[in-house]
Amino acid sequence: MTSYPFLAQLLVDKYDVDAQSIHPEATMTELDLDSLTLTEILFDLEDEFGIEVPEERATFSTLGEATAVIDDLVRVKETTE
Amino acid sequence: MSGRRVFITGMGFETPHGQDPRGVFERLFQGESAVQMVRSGTAEFGSDVVLAPVDFDPGDTIPKVPLLFMARAAQMAVVAAHKAIRSTGLLVDDRGPRDAGVYMGCGLGGAEIIQEGYRTFYEQKSKRFKRSTVPMIMANAAAAHISMRYKIQGPAHTYSIACSSSTVAIGEAFRAVRDGYLEVAIAGGTEAMLNHGSIAAWERLGVLAREHPDGVLASSRPFDAERTGFVLGEGAVILVIENEDRVSARRATPVAEIIGYGSSSDAHNLIEPLADGQERTMWNGILDSGIDPGEVGYINAHATGTPTGDPVEIDAIKRVFGAHARQLAVSSTKSMHGHLVGAAGALECAITALALSEGRIPPTANLTTPDPACDLDCVPGVGRAVPDLAVAMSNSFAFGGSNATLVLRKA
Repeated sequence: MTSYPFLAQLLVDKYDVDAQSIHPEATMTELDLDSLTLTEILFDLEDEFGIEVPEERATFSTLGEATAVIDDLVRVKETTE
Repeated sequence: MSGRRVFITGMGFETPHGQDPRGVFERLFQGESAVQMVRSGTAEFGSDVVLAPVDFDPGDTIPKVPLLFMARAAQMAVVAAHKAIRSTGLLVDDRGPRDAGVYMGCGLGGAEIIQEGYRTFYEQKSKRFKRSTVPMIMANAAAAHISMRYKIQGPAHTYSIACSSSTVAIGEAFRAVRDGYLEVAIAGGTEAMLNHGSIAAWERLGVLAREHPDGVLASSRPFDAERTGFVLGEGAVILVIENEDRVSARRATPVAEIIGYGSSSDAHNLIEPLADGQERTMWNGILDSGIDPGEVGYINAHATGTPTGDPVEIDAIKRVFGAHARQLAVSSTKSMHGHLVGAAGALECAITALALSEGRIPPTANLTTPDPACDLDCVPGVGRAVPDLAVAMSNSFAFGGSNATLVLRKA
């Protein structure tokens, strides 16, 4: 399972991002997502997947990198449950 | 004080009586109350509260993403600002006048966001409240959002002076335009604290009105012997003010002219008013405007409807105007729209401007048994046509003893 489809849909539905511009290599800057918006997106992801993203891991620049971090934290959570 | 003449050229309303300024004025003129009984939702207290809420919908005025980061007070302010700027014709390509200043009054900021954060922190023992809590609760959020939304690049200032906030904001904007620092300003106030925690705090202070035996609509009754306190309201009112050169160049039709602004401090008590301080702010406004006190035909009083406050203001008016106090009209429109706290002064300034524009004085509703200590002409019941009304004042007096007065003239 990957968090990418959820993230892509979230960006369209809640953050008004044009679906055509969403792809794994797209950077947050290209998508016009400022730092405050990013913190809210992280919050949504944490809520959805029941994880907490440590500050030192919240340094991704592309959607693909963000998804990798979320997926990794989900894996860790699942193996420890 | 000499300087450029300053005019109100646009208005935007989000008020308990609605969004259209002239329509709101008409309802007020008829003595129509917008007060409602609202279930407070504070289950632990179980009380119903008499309030004056706004039927607010931001619609598509605010884009989806910025809306996520705005508390209700900021949302209402942005929508009111949009209407005000648009009403002047100065909204071009979704931008306002670039060099304008934004002068806002706001008492508490994002009150419901504070509550939400505290609820999460204390009830759920969790820090998982919105990460944008701080920029949503700050009192200057509304001014910042107006500036960002309409690309207005002059100063964006917020005055947080409780009930005097937006009178001071308009007064300071007036000075900046009159004295040549700005040509145009977006000035007003916003407040939205009709949330459970804030209401409970107001209840504890013991200043809120109880439902009157004649019904909810009769609950706000300044100057009346049966008054029990004020009705907490909410809303946002924004004015566009411009100097005379711009008004002439654009051939704009102003609503009214602002001619004076005064302020003072009681230096006395946190919540008890003092006639001396109120007298000084009115005098300061009169001196600033250069008029003779005898020219004032109408005062939109601060009068909230508390047993303590109203007679003090009447006393202060008598001290300022002497025998003329019995010639002029004094009304409290809070009897109908409640007390909008940080937005109160802006709404009441706008109503005063409309009164001058229309030659009609709005009433004090529910004034059926006048308090003998409030023995001036308080325009009971319904409004009064006064076609030759030329000069009027609007008073705001805040907890903390900070007083402010605006003086307006028919344009």
